[in-house]
This record gives sequence, C-alpha cells and structure tokens, in this order.
Amino acid sequence: MKLSSETQRVLEVSMGINKTSDAERREIEALIARIPDNRIQLYQYVVSNPLGDLPRYSIHIRIQHLLTFITFLTLAFTGLPIAFFEHFWAVPVNNMLGGVNVTRIIHRALASVMIFAMAYHIATIVLGSFVKIKQGRFESARSMIPAMKDVHDFKDDMLHFAGKRSHRPEMDKFMYKQKLHYFAAAFGNIVMIVSGSSFMFPEFWASILPVSIGAHFQEMMRISHPHEALLALLVIAFWHWYNVHLAPGRFPMQWTFLTGKITREHQMEEHFLEYLRCLVEIPRERIHLRDMLEAMEQAEKENSNTAAGG
Amino acid sequence: MHKTITLSCMIFSGLLFCSLAAAAEPVGGIRPPAVFEDDMGCLLCHKFPKMGRITEDGESRSYYIMPHVYANTVHRNVLCTDCHSYIRQLPHKKVKQGVRCDGECHSIKNPATGKKFSHKPIYQKYKQSTHYRPKLAKGDEQDKPYCVTCHTNPVYNPEEAVLPTDVTDRCVVCHEDREFVDNWYKHTSRRINKVKRSAKEIVELCTSCHGDEKLVKRHLKTAKEEGRELGRKYEYAASSYKDSFHGKVTGYGFTKAANCLDCHAETANYFLNVHYLRPSRDEASPVHKNNRLKTCQRCHKHADENYAALDPHPTSEKKDNPFRYYAELIYAWVGDLVFIGLIALAAFETRGRLRDGVYWRLRNGSSWLRRDSEHDVSKSDS
Repeated sequence: MKLSSETQRVLEVSMGINKTSDAERREIEALIARIPDNRIQLYQYVVSNPLGDLPRYSIHIRIQHLLTFITFLTLAFTGLPIAFFEHFWAVPVNNMLGGVNVTRIIHRALASVMIFAMAYHIATIVLGSFVKIKQGRFESARSMIPAMKDVHDFKDDMLHFAGKRSHRPEMDKFMYKQKLHYFAAAFGNIVMIVSGSSFMFPEFWASILPVSIGAHFQEMMRISHPHEALLALLVIAFWHWYNVHLAPGRFPMQWTFLTGKITREHQMEEHFLEYLRCLVEIPRERIHLRDMLEAMEQAEKENSNTAAGG
Repeated sequence: MHKTITLSCMIFSGLLFCSLAAAAEPVGGIRPPAVFEDDMGCLLCHKFPKMGRITEDGESRSYYIMPHVYANTVHRNVLCTDCHSYIRQLPHKKVKQGVRCDGECHSIKNPATGKKFSHKPIYQKYKQSTHYRPKLAKGDEQDKPYCVTCHTNPVYNPEEAVLPTDVTDRCVVCHEDREFVDNWYKHTSRRINKVKRSAKEIVELCTSCHGDEKLVKRHLKTAKEEGRELGRKYEYAASSYKDSFHGKVTGYGFTKAANCLDCHAETANYFLNVHYLRPSRDEASPVHKNNRLKTCQRCHKHADENYAALDPHPTSEKKDNPFRYYAELIYAWVGDLVFIGLIALAAFETRGRLRDGVYWRLRNGSSWLRRDSEHDVSKSDS
C-alpha cells in the first residue's frame, strides 16, 4: 500500500526516534508496500494470540483501570440506593449492606479509592510524559491529546460504516472514540469528586466561592452527582461495553485490560499508525507481517491459478 | 329546631341506657384505678361505646370514655370539669366551644409554684405564633393547628407497659406507696423517652399541613386576596425540604440533620419555643435573614455569611429557581440524547462492521476462540 503523507510522517518520526538503520528502514518500507490497500484482507492470514500480541498498556494503566472499574461499579451499586433510597428496589440493597447509613460509609470509602486511582493516573501520565520528553521519545499524536485528525477519523469511520468508504481510516494509538471516552470519564470523575465533596464540606465550598454563585454551585452539584452518575452508567453500558465486549470482532471480550497487550488484527484495523510504530520498534513483528503477506500472496496465486485453470 | 330535637333525643336515650346499665362492668372488664374518680358522674353516660353523634357536617364524633384507658393518660388526675368547665349540670347543655387549653385546673396544683396548674404560659407563646387560631376558628384559620392537632396525647406508651421493678422497688422503699411511685415513674419515663417527636415524626407532622396541596393553595389564594405576604417558600415548604440535603438525610433516619423545628424554632428553651414559630420575615424568627447565619452555625460550626446565603429549600420550579429548572432540563436532554445516540452509534457500527466481513467471530476465530488450530497460540510471541 502507498502511505499517505500523514501516515508516512508518523513512520518517519518513529524511525527517527528509534534511530532505525537504513537496512531496517528499507525492510520496513518494502513490507509496507506489500500490504494491500484494504488492510482487512490480511485478517484471514493473521496468526494471533487472543491474549494479545503487541504491547499497549503499562502495568500502571492496567491497575488504574482495575481500580477505576471496580470502584465505578461498586460506587454505582451503593450510590443508586442512596440517591433513590425510597424506591422499592433500593430497600433490599440497603438492607443487604447494613442499612442506608452503612451504604453511605461504604460509598465514601470507595470514593476515596476512586480518588486515589485518579491521583495515581495523573502521576503516571505526568511523570511518564516527563520521562519520555527527556528521552526525546514523546509524541503527542501517540497520546490522548485531541487533534483535528480525530475529527477527520470520525468522519471517515462513519463514511466507512455507511458503506461510502472502502476501508477504515488509519487511526493512532488512541482513536477518536477512546479520546472522547477518556475525557468524558475524566470530566465525570472531576464532577463526581467536586459534587461529592460539596455534600461533605458545604461550608468549605461556600467560603471559597463568591456569594453570588455559592447557592447555584451547591444546587448544581446536588443535581449533578446523580445525573452525572447515570450518564456515566449509560456511557459505560451502551458504549464502552459495546466497544470492548459486543462489537463484532471483539466478542466476547478483549484481554487487553489484563494482559496489557492488543491483538495484531485489532491493532491493524483500528490503530494502524501504532502498528507501523510496532513494526519499527519490534523487529520480530516484521517477521509476523512477512509471514502473513506471504500466506496471503500464496493464496492469491493459488486462487488465480485455479481461476485460470478452471 | 331540628338540631335541638336530635340533641334532646340523644341525651334522653343516653340517660335511659345509663339507668339500665349503671351496674355494668366497664368495657374490657378492667376496673379503673382508684385515682380515677368519677365524682361528677360523667361516666353515667360517657362509658357507653355508642355515645356520640353525627355532626351537621356529617362528621362522626365519639364521646365515649374508656375509664381504664383514661386512667393511664397524662390527664388522669384532672377532673373532667377542670377542662370541661362549662358543664354545670347533668344532663349538660349543648357544648358550644369545647375545651380550651389555657384554663386553670382546680384539682391539680403546680408542685413547684403551689399555684393552680395551667398550660397558660405555653398558650401565651402559642398565641403570639404564626400558627395561632382561636378554638372556634372561621375560614382558612380552621386549617391552623390547635393544641390537640399536634398533642395527640398517645394513650399507649410501651415504656410504661411493664415497669422495671428494679427501679421502682427502690423508690417504694422510701415513698411507700407503689401506685404513687408507678405514676411518677410513668410521668418521668414518658418525658425522657417519648416527649419529643423524632426528626422523621416532626417532618411528618409539619408536612401533614404544609404538604397538603389543597390547603396550601387555599391559603395562597386568601393571602393574595387579602394582600397579605407569605413566605417565599411557603408553596414549596414540604416538597423542597424533602428534596433538600437535610430532608434526604433525615429520611435515611439520620437524626443529626436539621428537621423543620431545628431551624424554624429557637433552640434555647426548645420545648416552649416550638410553640412560638414566626414567619421568616419576622425578626423573631431564627430563619429571618439577620438570624440565618447564627441558625446555620447551630450545626455548621464553620458556616460563614456565604454559607447562610445557600438555599435550604431548593426547588426545580421555574418561577422559584430558573437556574436549577434549566440545569435539570439540560441534564435530562443530554441524558436522553446520550442514551439514544450511543445505541444508534453502536447499531450503526455493528451494521458497518458486519458488512465489512468482520462478523461476530473473526475469520480466525473470536477474541477467545481460534478456528485455525494450525495457528497455535504458543507460536505467538512479543
């Protein structure tokens, strides 16, 4: 396939950072040239480990995800019967936990774990980015930082799903969906922490805010806490779980959140730019790609022979 | 004329039954304790369960007195005529006003002052409160609470059912008279255990009127007609409290959160001052804008002027709080859009991906299962 100038630039930057030798550069470029324009065609020749082939998330990110999703679900499980404690379904839940006053204590304890996970995450990305900048390996395109490319990717992906584009766009390590989801979660977390703290420390918030907005703030927080929680539940249930569990090709589950690795076909399909970086960074991956290409070319040759013979 | 005949018939029939059943046992077969002395002969008629009438408004009224129950109430030592002082003869005349609670007892003296016992001091406070109404009120005033609206004087107190003899025996050692001791124990235990309503019960009591939509509308209308001012939150007092943080936490059974009286009554001499509730526009009210901070600081020690400006009765009503109204509206819209949008997006993507040939399981299997045994998992590295 012929790389677009944008994709070519990503490859060049990666090879520059990794100080790729000329021989390797030629090898990589030759391999890429052999990839069919529609990358999906490689799927049937993929040799892949369901547990994941290519590195994606560090152990820190995996621990943070675990902490976040465990606290998120348990916070929702304890928070909903607190917010709607008079509803018929909330009564047995509260009773099971030892009464609504115990549910409130559990909810706050879990909230502190969630806040810890958030602080841990901030420390990881700040320190991680700092180290990468120092090493000269930091690429903003490889991070969660939103870019105009995400808007174009979204448009192209929608065109593809609508059948108006032959293949999916060449997206980066974090595609538009993940960025949107990440910032929604970050925003939601902040709203939940601020609004939760406004319940626990109303005097503090009133003392630091101007009197003209103090009451509005408190009321906004009162309605935001349950609304934001429900919104987050909707997003998790109907989007995140769809993307990682239900979407065709992902069913029943991806192991990435535990192993930190992504499957080869997934990387090629949705994160092609990151796959190119893998080709640069992991020499062994070039062998896998060559095997795939050879299997595909062989099969094509056989097909054309059969067709000619027939 | 019709009313007089009805009343006369009732009194006559009452007397007839009295004479027939004068020797009958009181209901339940329990004799009233010696303390209950029917020296006025009221029970001649009032011991009969069917003693009562249907008022002109169709309301059923029972005038039946169960002596054994009455003998266990707080008023057991008070003679009937101490309160029903207008009764001078038997059979008595039609009752016009009924009992007022500011009279003086002739039979009971205040042991502290030696004066005749009376509820006058508390009645005087009540008289100055916004809740005051005369015993016979007219129009909307009838909606206001009279003493007995709140003081329902429950006849059964579980704390008194079985007295702890390990306590009362000790008293009897010096006071000798067990009945005297038992009565004192009941008197004090009732005041220790049951004299104050719980936070939830207080809210329930206040809400029984302030949460009555018809009553509230009636008063709003009358106030408008008369050009009277009502509290800004009068209309939403009950519902907004229930939605407030205080209301919610009190609903959980948490007793430290503010109930109605914690803010609207003075805490100093609480039991007297709950009878002296003033509208928030009156400086005597703890929720008057000049007193609000001090009132908040009763619980919120670190509260400042900004804190006192928060709204303890928040609503989402457009005319009361447009900010909150629109904020809720926006949240509702966002919620609906996200819900519909995400399902639509997932469906759209599924359709697109299926068309792409990436079906529910990839060609080489799913993320869990590999179809091609040749491509063994162990072969993979990295």
